[in-house]
Amino acid sequence: MLREFTCIICPNGCELEVEIQDGKAVSITGNLCPKGVTYVQQELTNPQRNIATSVPVKGGELPLASVRLTNPIPKDKIFEAMAEIRKLSVEAPIQAGTVLIENLLGYDSNVIVTKTVEKKQG
Amino acid sequence: MKERYDVLIIGGGMVGSAVARELSRYDLRIGVLEKNLDVCYETSGRNSAVVHGGFAYDPGTLKAKLCVEGNQMMGQLAEELDFPFLRCGKVLVGNTDEDMETLKRTLKQGETNGSVGLEIIDEDRLHELVPAVVGKFAMFSPNSGILDPFQYTIALAENAHENGADYFFDHEATGISREQDGYVISTVQGDYHTRWVVNAAGLGCGKISDMLGIKGYKIIGSKGDYIILDKRTGPLLPMPVYPVPSNTYMGIHVTNTIDGNVTIGPNADMVTDFDYYGVPQKNMDYLAKSASDLWPHIHKADYIRNYSGILPKWVDDNGVIQDFKIEIRDELAPQAVNLVGIESPGLTAAVPIARYAINLMKQREELKEKADFNPRRKGIVRFESLSTEEKARMIKENPDYGEVICRCEKVTRAEILAAIHNPLGVSTMVGIKYRTRSMMGRCQGGYCQMRVEQMIEEELGRKETEVLYARQNSQVLFGKVREED
Amino acid sequence: MEKKAVIIVGGGPAGLAAAVELYNKGIRDILILEREKHLGGILRQCIHDGFGLTRFKTTLSGPEYAQRFIDEVLEKGIPFLTDTTVLDVSEDKVVTAASRKGLIRFQAQSVILTMGCRERTRGALGIPGERPAGVFTAGVAQAYMNLYNRMPAKEVVILGSGDIGMIMARRLTLEGAHVQAVFEIQPIPSGLPRNIEQCLNDYHIPLYLSHTITEIHGGSRLTGVTVAQVDEHFQPIPGTEKDYTCDTLILSVGLLPENELSIDAGVQLDNRTRGAVVDEHFQTNVEGIFAAGNVLHVHDLVDFVSMEAEALADSAAAYVTNGPLPECPVQVIADGNIGHTIPQKISGQKDVRLSMRVKRLIKDCRVVVRQNGEEIAAKRMKKALPAEMIQILVKADKMTSTGDLEVSIEC
Repeated sequence: MLREFTCIICPNGCELEVEIQDGKAVSITGNLCPKGVTYVQQELTNPQRNIATSVPVKGGELPLASVRLTNPIPKDKIFEAMAEIRKLSVEAPIQAGTVLIENLLGYDSNVIVTKTVEKKQG
Repeated sequence: MKERYDVLIIGGGMVGSAVARELSRYDLRIGVLEKNLDVCYETSGRNSAVVHGGFAYDPGTLKAKLCVEGNQMMGQLAEELDFPFLRCGKVLVGNTDEDMETLKRTLKQGETNGSVGLEIIDEDRLHELVPAVVGKFAMFSPNSGILDPFQYTIALAENAHENGADYFFDHEATGISREQDGYVISTVQGDYHTRWVVNAAGLGCGKISDMLGIKGYKIIGSKGDYIILDKRTGPLLPMPVYPVPSNTYMGIHVTNTIDGNVTIGPNADMVTDFDYYGVPQKNMDYLAKSASDLWPHIHKADYIRNYSGILPKWVDDNGVIQDFKIEIRDELAPQAVNLVGIESPGLTAAVPIARYAINLMKQREELKEKADFNPRRKGIVRFESLSTEEKARMIKENPDYGEVICRCEKVTRAEILAAIHNPLGVSTMVGIKYRTRSMMGRCQGGYCQMRVEQMIEEELGRKETEVLYARQNSQVLFGKVREED
Repeated sequence: MEKKAVIIVGGGPAGLAAAVELYNKGIRDILILEREKHLGGILRQCIHDGFGLTRFKTTLSGPEYAQRFIDEVLEKGIPFLTDTTVLDVSEDKVVTAASRKGLIRFQAQSVILTMGCRERTRGALGIPGERPAGVFTAGVAQAYMNLYNRMPAKEVVILGSGDIGMIMARRLTLEGAHVQAVFEIQPIPSGLPRNIEQCLNDYHIPLYLSHTITEIHGGSRLTGVTVAQVDEHFQPIPGTEKDYTCDTLILSVGLLPENELSIDAGVQLDNRTRGAVVDEHFQTNVEGIFAAGNVLHVHDLVDFVSMEAEALADSAAAYVTNGPLPECPVQVIADGNIGHTIPQKISGQKDVRLSMRVKRLIKDCRVVVRQNGEEIAAKRMKKALPAEMIQILVKADKMTSTGDLEVSIEC
């Protein structure tokens, strides 16, 4: 079976043509770099995605601190991950890079703050 | 029971507010019932914003008489009430012999009406006045002008309010009944008692007239669409350019706005739905094409917005458009001033219309002038219009002038704060826009609308779900992304 | 009036990168003027990841990408003023700005324009219909959600397949809104393929090409939109209209360089990019006024914005130190397949990186640069997409300073 993939690893967005037999890629063409091969294999077995969202900041100069995952997690766990992150709330000041959840849902991925939010003045 | 008013005015547009302002010279308890959440959501805010010379109306009509009067007093009014007005003149452009005949007739008609300074000019003079215009000759009306229709209406309303008139928004009148020496006006918010009623309901004038017992006025809507062009185009158009008119339709014209934009429009579609302000594609295409015949600078890249407005026209059984009707029908509805079919030139004529209406009242009741009437009203200072030195001084006096919230129109925090705390208590996004020009520029609020929304929440203690865009139920936001505590 | 060697208008990615590079080239008398409370520009609201792969070889969120440059600005002590809006830049490089502290004016030796871009609006497109609440550009919706913690939508339709629109489709979905569909008037998507994959396909959001909105409904809040298929001239095909009930319409229909200050300064604009006409030094027609980033031409990736601003800074540093830069008499001319090229003028004596976008999807082609009939640079493309910016390096030793450069697409 021939299937098309759009590699999402980098902005090139290579369009890959993949010959699949028994759920495995037997040939991959169209990729500009080896990451395309890894991507297709991952997509066939266990597609992975990163997500970004925000957490509320108490007493912050901004209401929200943005967060993301340090590594992608299985695509079908995205909404579970969102539910976990939605439980979070932090207090100002909070620094970018702060880990809020380690090993999210048991995966090798942490939820980290991506924007420093200082305390609200006055 | 709520207190009893001497006069309740139904409709707070420019005519209703002009009546309120002119009546507030007298010792009267005045209220204004407005169905919308601000004073210029309908015809008053949706028009060409041109102050007319008074030549395009049949001699002897109220339209002719009151338009000429309104034109003459606009300079003084603008000075008293602090709204932007420019007597820039205007040209009606023609090409054919037939056009010339019509223009000569229009000029003569204008002179009969009392419009002064009108002249027929040749192509050279026309191009001196408006360099890019397409036309062989024109009638030039030096006393025509432009104003800011929002500021104008708001100024009238605020001045009326300062002189004691109460404004009630979201108060649509749903019924009127007679009581001893007056009326009970039912609204969606309850009943109001008054000795006098003024029907200044604009598009609703027929409905209110019926409620008063003065039945039979047939009102049709003439819906006109407009396109607004970027301020880049303003300097290319020093005055409005019209085609050769008829006495009932001005034609699609190109108009410079007081703020330096250009508008093109309106077409005139007869409508019966007075709440629908959609602009169809075919009309936009038609406007661009028609206006390009007059002025060659119309490019889609300069479009920043479109809008439409509806003029309430009183027509007879044959569909012929009638004059303004300003009346008191003692036999049917005593102590009720009925204003019907107030369409163009209602903007120019609003104050003379009000004075005419008040004179009818005076013929029936002595009105006592107040000693403390203040004809002056101060608007919000526009930072962008100031010189560098004045800007520096303003910031020094009030640092809020140093915080630019709207980048396109360079509107500062101080101006937006003043607008949020406006005397009439209007709190919609569009209300702030009309008062400051924030969100009105080329990015259409892309940069400032979140800031304005946040300021409305903070200043008025509103929840984000309570902030409205323009009309009732025009919620802007549905809540928070994350609960704060 | 206070003097400054360099004033940078805008502290977003382009302005920050220019400032850091100027510093690295020995220029110290710099001032960045930023109208917002924080440096970082639009990146502050772009909380999704995917930034920095080219520039930093790692994937970052927008705020993190910006912070890398902000940290350098802070470490080096490069002066900046936030909450300061530039009101005017004059042809003789007097910069006037307002802040709560007062009105400030500087005489600059050089002005760097890095104001970025704004979004095309509903009015600019002339979408027919009513004007209810609930019609937002993608960037406004993004700001409400990511900066202001406000939810602007429940039932959503998106017009335009620009990258921000697709990213907002995912963002809205993650936060509980329902995105019904994305409609694109062009026959090909305007955003990057990876965003179609990870923002739309992942969430089962359909993308309809050759479709547009023909009417907006609702007198208060949006109640729905009418959508129709379009023909090859982008005209709605009668009979294909379909109504969608929704409370929100998100527009992702293009970005426009924000050049109002440039125009006041007498800077000549290019009708195609709506940004300045620049030479290989990123200098505009006004000597000492430079432009880079999205104010010059809209980029696909912030990485290229930073790199362009760094190239600009090298020239601006040379200008401030040594005076007028070499003449650029060679025009860069593009064929009909290419929307524009940056720079528009070169000297022919220096390596130059040409940036361009194709106007339509072209497969298996070569981007060829010729001078005086001779091929001097070429790049093979498997697929050239309008969504992607193409860059091609032209070496100095292949060029002369007479004869226009002609850029074309050959299949």
